[in-house]
Amino acid sequence: MTLEVQTRQADNGATVVAPTGRLDVAGAPTLKEAISEALKNGSPKVVLDMEGISFVDSTGLGSVIAALKQIRSSQGDLRLAAPNQQVRVVLELTTLDRVFPYYSTVEEALTGF
Amino acid sequence: MFHATFSQLDEGLEKLHESVKLLREASGRKPDDTNVMHFEIALAEIGANVLTHGRPNHVDPPIEYELRLEQGAALASFIDRGPAVLDFATRAMPDTESESGRGLPMARWLLDELLYKRDGEVNRWKLVKRL
Repeated sequence: MTLEVQTRQADNGATVVAPTGRLDVAGAPTLKEAISEALKNGSPKVVLDMEGISFVDSTGLGSVIAALKQIRSSQGDLRLAAPNQQVRVVLELTTLDRVFPYYSTVEEALTGF
Repeated sequence: MFHATFSQLDEGLEKLHESVKLLREASGRKPDDTNVMHFEIALAEIGANVLTHGRPNHVDPPIEYELRLEQGAALASFIDRGPAVLDFATRAMPDTESESGRGLPMARWLLDELLYKRDGEVNRWKLVKRL
């Protein structure tokens, strides 16, 4: 299952990155590339819309941590939106939910961002 | 119940998730069953490790994988020909800044048993999760 990523600009100027598929050891490089492209062309305020992610593994999470570092080095920030139950389990198990507070929807993540 | 050999990363990951789907059906568990989900996360972590490191120079033979449902438990095994995993027993969860190194600690936490043995030139993995 190849990871596909769509990127769009929200009304408040933030960039919404929306991957679809499994964010795993095979899909992680695609997300890294998409975030790098988004930062070149848009706002360093990024919402990662996780609604389309069916499954995440530790390498996929590593790509999100790498994205956060890259975004913060551009004086931006990253918010996660709409993770499914499996993604939330992995975030909590690795205590990364403390690093990435997540929002129920993209709209919530964009509010005040 | 399910036996497969694989050589490529994408192909292997697909087969692992397919096998969990069959396990879920065979055990009558719902799609959001927590124990099956925990097993799938652990299986994907060990599987990713084996698929990434288990075929040095990408030479045959391929990785061997088996999954059985036995007395209410999921039992999975891998045999790969990668280098020995020297820090299997001691690898701890890294800090939140780290971009890697979480797979093995996660799998250990999620499973009832995770066994690893270096056997001559091969690595043998056994994963057990009571469902």
